[in-house]
Amino acid sequence: MNICIMGFGSVGQGVARVFQMKKEQIKEDHGLDLNLIAAVDRSGAAVNLEGLDLNLLLETKKSTGKLSEYPENGAEGISGVEILEEVDYDCLIEVTPTNIEDGEPARSHILKAMQDGKHVVTSNKGPLALNFRELADSAQKNNVQFKYEASVGGAMPIINFAHETLSGCRIESIYGILNGTTNYILSRMAKEGSSYEQTLNEAKELGIAETDPTQDVEGEDAACKVVILANSILKIDATYQDVEVRGISQITPESISLAKKEGYLIKLIGEVSEDALEVSPRLVKEGSPFAVDGTLNVATLKTDLADDVTVVGKGAGSLETASAIMSDIISIWKTN
Amino acid sequence: MRLNLVLELLDVPGQLTDVLNPIGRLGANIVAVIHQRDVKTERGTVPVQITIEGDKETLNQVLNDIEEARIEIMQVDGILRKEKITTIMVGNIVDKDVKDTVELLNRIDGVRVADLDLKMSDHPEKSASRIVIEAEQGRRKEIMAKIKNIGQSKGFMVINEV
Repeated sequence: MNICIMGFGSVGQGVARVFQMKKEQIKEDHGLDLNLIAAVDRSGAAVNLEGLDLNLLLETKKSTGKLSEYPENGAEGISGVEILEEVDYDCLIEVTPTNIEDGEPARSHILKAMQDGKHVVTSNKGPLALNFRELADSAQKNNVQFKYEASVGGAMPIINFAHETLSGCRIESIYGILNGTTNYILSRMAKEGSSYEQTLNEAKELGIAETDPTQDVEGEDAACKVVILANSILKIDATYQDVEVRGISQITPESISLAKKEGYLIKLIGEVSEDALEVSPRLVKEGSPFAVDGTLNVATLKTDLADDVTVVGKGAGSLETASAIMSDIISIWKTN
Repeated sequence: MRLNLVLELLDVPGQLTDVLNPIGRLGANIVAVIHQRDVKTERGTVPVQITIEGDKETLNQVLNDIEEARIEIMQVDGILRKEKITTIMVGNIVDKDVKDTVELLNRIDGVRVADLDLKMSDHPEKSASRIVIEAEQGRRKEIMAKIKNIGQSKGFMVINEV
């Protein structure tokens, strides 16, 4: 399978590392020969139709920060769409940074690939949260597969889990902690009694929160995931604007300590149900499935047959997110 | 007729006899009492199961007397009587008139504010209040939405249960 990666940040590099680590094993287990033929970042691209040297690719990115510096086969200034136009590939991995203003450039990349009859795997929440219907319709029309397990909960299995493992059940609602950064901050505040500002600074120093943490702490990232789950699993035709969003920046140590006195924790919870699409701080019982610490994500799916089913996993991280992308690629391979 | 009750008692001496004495006095027959001191609720109270027998009128009187003695009836014949809804509001609750907030909540049909706890901050707008509400069974979602509206109308951030 010839693969093209669009975006070479933490997730893109994670995918390349997993290819490096697992290439032989995947070939042996599934008969799938993973061949990365193009990788694109802001600087341009590295292209080799025979297959890129993954060591060299990762080394080049690490030392120069630019894929266009890839020896002999680097191309400076070439755009993602141009690469998709020129290179013959089977599957696009779209992992450019999430943009929740207009979903670009990921939306254009994904639509272009689908129109050209290519399968698409993405972790990019922007276009999914803004244009889910458009993308799903395009995939169907062009008869290609469109997979996005990595867009919700990183390594925590949820989308394919709901569609495949729970396929006999009707999913009535999903409640979950869908953002690791805010869960880290709230867990630390509960443990240390520290203020929101203090804890956010600590999270920034540890690299858990980004320099501009708005998307995480204001609940925007979790809201994107609520939209994806609503569309994909509950078949609710919704976009980002339909979600009621409140973040954690107003949470005080006083409120956390009052909650604790009654045996509760405060968590940022995403709710996906027929009644509500909502992201807000909520009270959860200590000892309940939602009482997970650190950057973990968790989701409880309420079903008609299996009652409540809860999944937990690492919500972010380079290799963790790449693991979800791998499972999508293998699943595409198996069904083709 | 027979009635199975689960009561919530404080773990202090004399609580059980305080409940049992009036039952006997009213003429109801006590069939069984299961009192496990090592099983506790989150608030440290002890659930006690009591089965009583008597005519309908007597049993109703017993339920009234227990309630008047401010002893919590958790279940009647396996059905939860009331549910507790806990909510936290962040904001300057004192300046925004605590009494008025409680009254607004109490005005919701079938709702009673059972407990209120305040934690003041050096910055008044960061103060928090925990409000425990007793409500009729089965109306949790609807009541939580109303609580949220009341809190938000006063400019508080409302943190409801999941």
